[in-house]
Amino acid sequence: MNRNFKKRDRELEERIAQDYQRMVKECDLHLDKMDHELPSLIEPLAEQLESAGVSRRSFMKWSAVTTAALMLPPVFKSRVARAAEQFGRVPVVWLHFAECTGCSEAFLRTSYPNVDDLILETLSIEYHETLMAAAGYQAEENLARALRDFPGKFICVIEGALPTGMDGKYLTLGAKGRTGMEVAREVTSKAAAVICIGSCSSFGNVQAAKPNPTDAKGIGDALGIKTVNISGCPPNPVNFVGTILHYLMFGAMPPLDSLGRPIWAYGKRIHDYCERRPHYDAGEYVEEWGDTGAKNGWCLYKMGCKGPYTYANCAKVRFNDGISWPIMAGHGCMGCTEPNFWDTMAPLEKPIAEKTFGGGEKTVDNIGKALAGVTAAGIVAHGAVSYIKRQGQKDIPKPQDEG
Amino acid sequence: MLKFRMKKEWWLAIRLIHWSVVITVFTLLISGFYIAYPLSNGAGATADKFCMGNIRTLHTFFGVFLTFLMIWRAYLGLFAKFHARWHDLLAWTNIHNLITQIKFYLLVSEKKPKHEYQYGPLQSLAYSGLILLQIAIIMTGLIMVGANYHAGFSTGVGSLLKPIEIAMGGLAGVRLIHHIIAWGFILFIMVHVYMAIWIDVVYKEGTISSMVSGRVFRKVD
Repeated sequence: MNRNFKKRDRELEERIAQDYQRMVKECDLHLDKMDHELPSLIEPLAEQLESAGVSRRSFMKWSAVTTAALMLPPVFKSRVARAAEQFGRVPVVWLHFAECTGCSEAFLRTSYPNVDDLILETLSIEYHETLMAAAGYQAEENLARALRDFPGKFICVIEGALPTGMDGKYLTLGAKGRTGMEVAREVTSKAAAVICIGSCSSFGNVQAAKPNPTDAKGIGDALGIKTVNISGCPPNPVNFVGTILHYLMFGAMPPLDSLGRPIWAYGKRIHDYCERRPHYDAGEYVEEWGDTGAKNGWCLYKMGCKGPYTYANCAKVRFNDGISWPIMAGHGCMGCTEPNFWDTMAPLEKPIAEKTFGGGEKTVDNIGKALAGVTAAGIVAHGAVSYIKRQGQKDIPKPQDEG
Repeated sequence: MLKFRMKKEWWLAIRLIHWSVVITVFTLLISGFYIAYPLSNGAGATADKFCMGNIRTLHTFFGVFLTFLMIWRAYLGLFAKFHARWHDLLAWTNIHNLITQIKFYLLVSEKKPKHEYQYGPLQSLAYSGLILLQIAIIMTGLIMVGANYHAGFSTGVGSLLKPIEIAMGGLAGVRLIHHIIAWGFILFIMVHVYMAIWIDVVYKEGTISSMVSGRVFRKVD
């Protein structure tokens, strides 16, 4: 028996080793190909890291962490580092539609730069409305040049939803006043891949929340194309960097779930990774803000935490260089990586059981209680009338059976 | 003097399923409402407690048990050699009988509907509705169980039902629908129990005891 297990283990190990060897080979081939094909770097990553005061050791530590986050074995550490050095050579066109630019802000603003941020800064952005110096016709020319220079080579990153109502006229951009729909259709048709950053471009987010006056939709829905959705409000930079690294290493986007989100980042729920999960299972809940439970770091389920319904890796990678994340900071998850979370996750600071229909106190349970009350009243009335009728007929006639 | 004839109405399998469902549904309702509104227990060390975990295990266990009971009932409905076939759910198709039944229940008329099927016409409609409710609550339940695990049977079912999960607006929508359907069960139980008592009183056929003994008493003229 034991020998059988050992034999099976050995076979499994061999198979895994073979799989990884194949993956390593593919990865090396693709990285070599990228070395030849991509435009050369203006400033190598090593120099940039040095000038920012990040040591080689920190960089290697970062590549080990990122390898683990991507669910790859340690043999890929050096490949992740190599891909990171190529990161700045991928041409990127970054479009903004109906959104708040919070995702760009989340990526750019840090108290001190970490490796993820520095790598993002090396990104060769051909067009980015918030960052570029050019304006007006000059900006439009930059976009046109990027499309001309790198057809089918650049990655199109989109931030923001597309209002589709009124022929898309709720959103017009640039000197020529083109609608978001036109710009998006033109750019995505020439892109090697489309990455949607944030819940707006992924699923529509707050623009698409009820009553959705502009008929806003996520990019995939609005254009009918397949996109990689890095959802979140804002999403974690790690998830974006990891996805691009995967593209550089294997020449393809990582496996996606049925909503287009990379499985390595969005495969499990907040609830599954949550550091407060033991308090959930034990039955220790925060009842109101600032109570003993809150001070002890208990579960936020009764404060409306939507972690059980939300797929994301926030608890694992956290935000701002791993300093904290919403639940760690003491507020429940509000489910920002899920489609239509403003509607489906409401009320955000109460459990789903307290969702109201048509306002007021009309929760499922109150409606249920009212219906149960009506049913009980009906039963009593029916019983009473039946009783009175039978009392009225002293000699009870045998009920006539038809059949 | 009135004479009665004993008639076998409910076979053992049906009675077993009925009372299993009763226990299961009551356990599920109580544990389900606890999961929706858990009680906070601050006493003792976290490591020594597993209250919510245990109640969720109980809820999942009985949920899966309900699934198997439904499969068993569906099997009987399709292949039973005794009186338990699905045709009884079509009792409402006799519209004339249906109207007679409604009039009788509303105490408008004294005329009883014909005993064509094992169920009355309205009863068959209510049970069809219950079957739909049961399918819906089991599916939403399995989706939520599936989300809890990374491998095994429930994960397989969960990924199979993924399109339904997305159509319902993610796990939050699934959870809400699960909660709404639970109320359907409560309302059904209220009406079902009252009707059983009422029928027992009016028909005097021993309807309530029939779900234990399996036999009803029909008057012989």
